[in-house]
Amino acid sequence: MSKTIEIKVPDIGDFRDIPVIEVLVAAGDQVGAEDGLITLESDKATMEVPSPVAGVIREMRLKLDDTVSEGDVVAILEVADESAAEAAPSPEPEPTAEASPETSPEPETQPTPDADETRRAAPVQTPAAEPGPGALESGPAADVDEPAAGVAGTAEVALSMLPYASPVVRKFARELGVDLTQVTGSGDKGRILREDVAAHVKSVMSAPAIEVAAPTLGGLRLDFPELTESDFSRYGEIEKQPLTRIQKISAGHLHRNWVGIPHVTQHDEADITDMEAFRLANADEAAAQGFKLTPLVFLMKAMVASLKKYPRFNASLDADGETLVLKKYYNIGIAVDTPEGLVVPVIRNCERKGIMELAAELAEVSARARDKKLKPQDIQGGCISISSLGGIGGTAFTPIINAPEVAILGVSRSSMKPVWNSAEFKPRLMLPLSLSYDHRVIDGAAAARFTRFLASRLEDLRRLTL
Amino acid sequence: MSTGDSFDFDLVVIGAGPGGYTAAFRAADLGLRVALVERYPVLGGVCLNVGCIPSKALLHAARVIDEAAAMERHGICFGPPAIDLDKLRGFKDGVVAKLTGGLAGMAGQRKVEVVEGLAAFTGANALDVQSAGQTRQLSFAKAIIAVGSQSLELPNMPWGDHRLMDSTAALQLEEIPQRLLIVGGGIIGMEMACIYEALGSRVTVVELTPTLMPGTDPDLVKPLQRRVSKRYTAIHLDTRVSRVDVADDALFAHFEGKHQGREPFDRVLVAVGRTPNGARINAAAAGVEVDEKGFIRVDHQMRTNIPHIFAIGDVVGQPMLAHKATHEGKVAAEVCAGQKSAFDARVIPSVAYTDPEIAWVGVTETQAKAQGLQIGVGRFPWAASGRALGNDRSEGFTKLVFDQATQRIIGAGITGPQAGDLIAECALAIEMGAEAADIGLTIHPHPTLSETVAMAAEVFEGTVTDLYIPRK
Repeated sequence: MSKTIEIKVPDIGDFRDIPVIEVLVAAGDQVGAEDGLITLESDKATMEVPSPVAGVIREMRLKLDDTVSEGDVVAILEVADESAAEAAPSPEPEPTAEASPETSPEPETQPTPDADETRRAAPVQTPAAEPGPGALESGPAADVDEPAAGVAGTAEVALSMLPYASPVVRKFARELGVDLTQVTGSGDKGRILREDVAAHVKSVMSAPAIEVAAPTLGGLRLDFPELTESDFSRYGEIEKQPLTRIQKISAGHLHRNWVGIPHVTQHDEADITDMEAFRLANADEAAAQGFKLTPLVFLMKAMVASLKKYPRFNASLDADGETLVLKKYYNIGIAVDTPEGLVVPVIRNCERKGIMELAAELAEVSARARDKKLKPQDIQGGCISISSLGGIGGTAFTPIINAPEVAILGVSRSSMKPVWNSAEFKPRLMLPLSLSYDHRVIDGAAAARFTRFLASRLEDLRRLTL
Repeated sequence: MSTGDSFDFDLVVIGAGPGGYTAAFRAADLGLRVALVERYPVLGGVCLNVGCIPSKALLHAARVIDEAAAMERHGICFGPPAIDLDKLRGFKDGVVAKLTGGLAGMAGQRKVEVVEGLAAFTGANALDVQSAGQTRQLSFAKAIIAVGSQSLELPNMPWGDHRLMDSTAALQLEEIPQRLLIVGGGIIGMEMACIYEALGSRVTVVELTPTLMPGTDPDLVKPLQRRVSKRYTAIHLDTRVSRVDVADDALFAHFEGKHQGREPFDRVLVAVGRTPNGARINAAAAGVEVDEKGFIRVDHQMRTNIPHIFAIGDVVGQPMLAHKATHEGKVAAEVCAGQKSAFDARVIPSVAYTDPEIAWVGVTETQAKAQGLQIGVGRFPWAASGRALGNDRSEGFTKLVFDQATQRIIGAGITGPQAGDLIAECALAIEMGAEAADIGLTIHPHPTLSETVAMAAEVFEGTVTDLYIPRK
C-alpha cells in the first residue's frame, strides 16, 4: 500500500490570502522532488510551491485564482519512495522571478477580507451535528443538553485567536460596522478599547475623504480636468498591449512617489578618467572570474562613502512625517531593466564588500532578475537606489525616488570633454550624475555637497580609503 | 418605532419560555407592538413550569435533607425526616406560581398582548392561533419563533402508564417510588436522581455511554460518581434499556450491554434528551426552513432563511439552555427593532445542579487536547480550602484552562457545592479576556469558595501559597 501525503503551502513570509496564478500539474501527473506544483503571487513576487518528494499527484486541492495562506493543502501526493516521505521536509517555497521596482521594502500584509469577527465568533448552532430524535434508535442516550456545542466559537476559531476586546467593545464595534480584526488596540498587550474603535472609525472616515476631496488637498487645488478617452484608431492603426504585472505594480508605486514626494534633481559631473583607466586595468582579472567590472560598482563604493559622510541621505521619513529614521547599514538598490519591466534588487551591506565582490554579486543578481528568479527578500531593505542609463546614452535625467528611500542617483553616459585645468583644456572623461532627493528631508545645499562629494570620490579613488 | 401599521402587530413571538418572553418584553421596551403566543395558560415555558425552577426548589429540599443527615457524624442528629409530599409539592408550585404570575404582570405593564393557543403559520406575515376550538388570525411585520423542545420518548416503552415518567411528570412528585430507574445519566437524569434519592427512593441509573455526564471532563465527573455510587442501588454504564414491560406491581426494564437482565422498578424516568419543536408550527407556510430533526437554522442575528422571521432558543440548536435562549431573545428583539445586535458571546456556561454540582464554561481540557491547543491548567483542590472543609464538603476542585501563549483564560471547570455560582466569574473572565494574573491579583473574599478560582489561577502562575507545589 503506497503512502500518500498532503503537500501544504509552506512558510511564505508575511503573506496571507495570496492568489494561485498558475497550476502546473494535474491529478495523475508524475512529479519529481522539487518540481513546481502551483505558482503563487504576492504583491512583490511570485513563487512556486514545489513537491517535497517524487510521486504521483492523486488530487489537486487548489485551482486557479484560489487564495491561499501558509498551511493550506495544495495537493495529495502518492509517494513514489516511501522512505523518502519519512524524511520529507516541508517544502521550502521557491520564490522565483519578478520583483517590482520602486517598491517599499516592507511586505505589505494583505488584510483578511471580510473578517467579520462577530460571525466567526457567533456560536450559532449547526443543528445537523446534534443528537436529535435520531438518537432514539440507539436506546438510552445522554441528555442532549451536553456541552459540546455550548463552547462558543471554539469549533471555528480558538478563543485566544479572537480579537482582544470585551463584550461591550465588541457590541460598540458591531454597531459602527467595525471589523475588530482591523483595529489596533492601545490597551495593555493590545487590548482593544472603546476609544480604539472610535479612533479606527475616525481614521477610516477621514482617509477616503482625502481621495474624494482631493481638490483641496493641503490647500492646493488638484482638480484636474477629466482626461477624455480618445479613440486612437480613428487616426490610424493601433494595437492594444496589456501591461505586464511588474509594469502595473511599478506604475502605481512610481505615480505615488512622484506625486507624494517633492522631488528636486541635482546635476553634476565626475571626472572619471583615472577611474576608467583603473577599471580597464583590472577588467581582465574580473573577466577571468567570470564577471564584468563595470563603473557601477565604483559608484556603489562611492555611494557608501557619501552616505557615511551625509547620514540624512541614508534615511526614511516615518509615517507620521515627524521623525527621520537613520539607517546604520548600507544596502543599495540597483535598477535593472528586464523584458517584463524595471526591477530594483538590493545589494546588502555594500560597506563590507570589496569592488570585486560587489561586481560578482551584481552580475549574479542582475542575471536572476532577468530570469525572473528574484526572491522577495532580494528586493527589500534598500537604503538608496542607483539607476544607470550609462550604457545607453543621454546627458541627464530625473529619476523618481524609490520611497521610503529619500534619494536616488541617476547616471548617464560618460563622454570625453575638454576640461580647463587653469592652464589649458585637457580631454577628460566626464560622467553625468543626476541626484533626485526628497526636499522634505534634504535641502539643496546638502544635495549639492553630497553629489560633489560623491563625484570627488570617483575622481580620485584613493579618497575612498579616507 | 412602529413598523408596518397595516399589520396587527409589529412583532409576534411564538412561545413564552425564557427566550420568548424575554424577546417579547425587550421588543416592547424598544417600542414595538408585540403579541406573545403561548399554548399553555401560564407563561414561562418548560424552564419556569416544568424544568429549571421547580427542579431547583426540589433540589434545595434534597440538599437540606442530605446536609442534616451528614451532620450526624459531627454530633447533630435530627433523626429521619418526616416528609409531607403535598406540602413539598406546594412549596415547589408556589415558587413557580410566583414567577409565572410575575411574568403575566410584567407582560401587562409592557402592553404585550398574550394570546393563548397553538400557533401555526398561514403565510409569511400571518398565523392562526387555535385555542378551545376557536381560531384567531394574527398578522405581523416580524415574528420570532421560540417554540422550544420537548423530552425525547424512547420506543418499546409503555408511554401512557403513569409510572413511566418524563422529567415533567417526575417533577410533579406524585409519589416517592421505592425503586426508581432513571434512564439517562446526563444533567436532567442526575438532578432527578439526586432529588428522589434524598426523598427516600432507591435509585438505579442507566447510561448508554461509558461515563456519567458525557461531554464533561472526566475529572469533573469523578466526585459526583464517587458520591452517588455509594448511595445509589446501581449505576449501569455502557448499558441501554431495550424495553420496559408492564406488570401490575412493577415496570420491568430489560438491560442490554455491559449490564444485562430484566429487573422490576416501581417507576421509570426517561431523561435521554430533548427534541426541538420546529416542525409543529407549519413553518413551511411562511417559507421558513426546518430540518428533518426539527431545528431551524439561523444566522448570528437569529434570522431564519426568511429575513423578517427569527428563531431563538432550543429550536435553533444546542445547547438547549435557558440562559442561551434569553440572550438570543434579546438579540432577536433588538434586531427586530432595528438595532445592529448579534450573538457574539464567546462562551455559554453549563451547570449540572447535582450534588456535588458540576459547572464548566469555554474550552474543556478534553477539547483542548483533541484540538492540540497549547494550554496550561491551574487546578486547585478544595481539600485546601478552609471554607470547603468547614462545609464538610472538600471533594471538589476548581480548574482553569489558559492559553499558554497569551496567558488568557479560555475555559474553566468546577465541581463541588455551589460550582454553578462560581462558574459565572470564569465566564466573565473569558468574555473580558482576563489573564491568569488578572484573576489571581483580584482580591477574593476569605473564606469563600470563590477564592478557589483565584487560587487556581495562582497555581497556573506558580504564585500560590495555599498549596505546596514542588519546583520542577
